[in-house]
Amino acid sequence: MNYSIAIIGSREAILGFRALGVETVAAKDSQEATEKLFELKKTKQVIDGAETETPKFAIVFITEDLAENISRDDYKKLSIGALPAIIPIPSHQGTTGFGLTKLRRVVEQAVGSDIMG
Amino acid sequence: MAILNVNPTRMNLLNLKKKVKTAIRGHKLLKDKQDGLMQKFMEVIKEAKAVRTEVEKEIGGAFKNFLSASSLMHPEMLENALMFPKAKVDLEVTTKNVMSVHIPQFKLNKEGEVVTYGFAETSGELDLALVSFSNVFELLIKLAEIEKSAENIADELEKTRRRVNALEHVLIPNLNDTVKFIYMKLSEAERSAITGTMRIKNMLEEQGK
Repeated sequence: MNYSIAIIGSREAILGFRALGVETVAAKDSQEATEKLFELKKTKQVIDGAETETPKFAIVFITEDLAENISRDDYKKLSIGALPAIIPIPSHQGTTGFGLTKLRRVVEQAVGSDIMG
Repeated sequence: MAILNVNPTRMNLLNLKKKVKTAIRGHKLLKDKQDGLMQKFMEVIKEAKAVRTEVEKEIGGAFKNFLSASSLMHPEMLENALMFPKAKVDLEVTTKNVMSVHIPQFKLNKEGEVVTYGFAETSGELDLALVSFSNVFELLIKLAEIEKSAENIADELEKTRRRVNALEHVLIPNLNDTVKFIYMKLSEAERSAITGTMRIKNMLEEQGK
């Protein structure tokens, strides 16, 4: 099964990815990004004009500055299910450290305490 | 500890004893699973951290190239140049099963040229920027794969931990207590039956005299 890749971010950040063939979605703030994320999660693959059950996107990248302010509840809803994977990446303004914070959160969930130091 | 709501009968005692055995075995199995998952998780998280640090380093360079390209070019020109990408990416996804956790494996298929615009109106920096984006992209896919794996394993680990704890601290002690309770009740009934018969025997003997 083949999937597409999408990226959500501010216009400047995503422009470069467009040339690579990634589907780009512009969002100004976290709220807009959240809405777009839900939309992308709902998008299904279309084969021969018929909608299938498999999601279209396997990976949705989102720039850290937008990902940071997505509420935990929304994030939990978004990360249910195997795909898509929602991955925060640094934006053109440099990293905010949110990616590592997220990793730390995952560790905390799994182990029960933060052992990454 | 709480005692289960059952009648203190021999039947229930036997059933409960069987249940205790199953629970203990289940607990052992789950504990093993938890250990296995934890080991895998540690590996994955270590790798995830390494890849993320690398991505943060690399992507900074790519954005820097892109920024310098966009500063040299007219924004509209830039937009035009990137309007219709010829390159296509799609992702082959397979899943691997690790301790009943499905871990995604991404395989990137790239098609077409990244640089698909006339050279007259664009700066050379843009070409450079796109090439560096293209290079960093594979790393990003790897990051996605590893982080999603970590997330899935963490989910399963949490669930398993809850189950292990529930068995260890709630279900098994409760079952044990109930078994003990029924056992006591039954022995008490037995003793009471014996003393009862003894008393009746005495009474009968006295009457017979």
